[in-house]
Amino acid sequence: MSTNAVNTMTTTEIQSPLHRWVQKLMHSTDLGMMPVIAALIAIWIVFEFLNPHFLTPRNLSNLSAQIVVTGTLALAETFVILLGMIDLSIGWSSVVAASVFSVGTVFLNLPVWPCVFLGIGASVLLGFLQGLLVSRIGVPSFVVSLGGAMIAEGLVLAMLTQHGGSVPLSDNLSTAVGTLNVPPAWSWGISLVLFAAFAIVMLMRHADRRKRGAGEAHTIVIAKLAFMLAVVVIGVGLLCAYQGIPVLLMIFLAALFFCAFLTKSMRYGRHLYAVGGNAEAARRSGINVRFIQLSAFTIAGALVGLGGLLDAARLGVASATIGDGDVLLNAVAAAVIGGTSLFGGRGSVYGAFFGALVIASITNGMNLVGAPSSVRFGVEGFILLIAITLDTVLRQRRMRSGRA
Amino acid sequence: MNSASTHELLSVKGLHKKYGAVTALRDVSFTVRRGEVTALLGDNGAGKSTTIKAIAGAAPADSGSILLDGQEVQIRRPADATSLGIQTVYQDLALCDNLGICANLFLGRERVSTPFKLLRDVDMEEEARRVLKTLRVNLPSLDTPVAALSGGQRQAVAIARAVLWGTKLVIMDEPTAALGVAQTAEVLRLVRDLAGQGFGVILITHNMQNVFEVADSVVVLRLGETVMEQRKDELTPEAVVGCITGSRTTIGGMA
Repeated sequence: MSTNAVNTMTTTEIQSPLHRWVQKLMHSTDLGMMPVIAALIAIWIVFEFLNPHFLTPRNLSNLSAQIVVTGTLALAETFVILLGMIDLSIGWSSVVAASVFSVGTVFLNLPVWPCVFLGIGASVLLGFLQGLLVSRIGVPSFVVSLGGAMIAEGLVLAMLTQHGGSVPLSDNLSTAVGTLNVPPAWSWGISLVLFAAFAIVMLMRHADRRKRGAGEAHTIVIAKLAFMLAVVVIGVGLLCAYQGIPVLLMIFLAALFFCAFLTKSMRYGRHLYAVGGNAEAARRSGINVRFIQLSAFTIAGALVGLGGLLDAARLGVASATIGDGDVLLNAVAAAVIGGTSLFGGRGSVYGAFFGALVIASITNGMNLVGAPSSVRFGVEGFILLIAITLDTVLRQRRMRSGRA
Repeated sequence: MNSASTHELLSVKGLHKKYGAVTALRDVSFTVRRGEVTALLGDNGAGKSTTIKAIAGAAPADSGSILLDGQEVQIRRPADATSLGIQTVYQDLALCDNLGICANLFLGRERVSTPFKLLRDVDMEEEARRVLKTLRVNLPSLDTPVAALSGGQRQAVAIARAVLWGTKLVIMDEPTAALGVAQTAEVLRLVRDLAGQGFGVILITHNMQNVFEVADSVVVLRLGETVMEQRKDELTPEAVVGCITGSRTTIGGMA
């Protein structure tokens, strides 16, 4: 995202590139994905050191499926957090989707696909109604979603208590989604074709910019693409060394790329960031602030529903106990660890991916090492605190520079 | 200064506005010429903000008329003013700090391609560079977040946005209030340039030095009335201050 176009700052001291880079870092107000990727590398090195099974294809394949639920819910939460709001209902709302799906398929013998839509639809409705209260009336999202979470919990108990609190799934779709991998040949094919399409779009835009006398040097663009290709090849290669890309991960990545498209390439995303950054300025610019808020909660609802169904598919059961656990906390933590600012307007959907990877890596690694949950919670909490402290420090830095 | 283009752009006649029992504007009349900077002065509560709100459509006047290019216009809402080519650069600038320069310039009016409303970033960047060049504004690369800019640069972005949106008249509310010396000079240069390019500019300020540096004509309001409308050349700072505070009675030239 850094077009180093005609940089015409008035300061003209000559510095070495490294010095300039360090300077930029020291005064930066937005570090993007850098902290979370650094944390991830550190975590992986530590666990690989403690247990050499950590970075094996088999464990990484497990890990890649373990990030899916947290990642999808973190993706949902990212939309709301980008507005500077919070949605505390996503944990229970996701279980509502799973419950509707399980009751529909197991007890009402409905066909699978309508149940998928009913389940996700239930979460969408919950998100939409909460969004209405937030955007039309202006009730703080914190309280609205707290109430929403309680209502969702009530709905889950109403649906599942009579069936003993949990319903094992038996349909083919959830079994396939929860257990299968995309065969290696297909995994390679799909990922390379998608990467090629992405690269072509990048190069065309780059050519367009260059033609108009702007844009980065060719080498920078090529280097970026080569780096991304390397990441894709290593990632897919590792997963294919085991059994291929898990279907769960495929679905999550599809949702991730769709959200990235929505927030980065479409006008909607620009407006979402604008409302999160300065709602009053957005309103004066003619942006429909209420619509953006309502739609963000609704989109979050859809992703929450998807996350709930994926969780049920992974576990093979829709269970009322899931909502009680750390589903919500993990999702919020993942989004924040991924660099999305709780103050709104800053962050990225990719943060949800990396944040979920951090959380899942800690859980997975701690299990491998045989550490008790107490240690795991301690470490996760510690990392979350670092992330939120960093966010706050950067914000204070922005406030200072903003008034200079 | 720019005697080539001294046509009337905006003419305000007999604006009257009441907020409940309080009369905010009694009789405000003045004229803004194309290619000129008109300084709008007055003490707190003199009616500057109310006048601006009436012209910008934020709070229409109860009576009186506004003529743009000699035609009487109805400005009931901010959107009316915008579509007539009147832009207000508010004191708080209304910028999104988290977005880049280019994103702010086109905020709410992004160039998009159908059917997915995809942002045409390359087109927007090109046009932004063109406008910034005509304004002779030096800014870092266009995706730099506005949060990283200095106060003067932020002001420049807000002004460039007004220009980009096909404006004839730019209203600036205290543009130099929070700026240092060098940045103030830069913004005043920009104001002067705007007028030089044929825009009409209304400049609200408390800084008498600014007025005498950039304004072509001076309008003073007191208690909701125009008490002075004169060419700057005929004035001294003391006369203007006297008129603002009311310690000196009016000296002709008013409507």
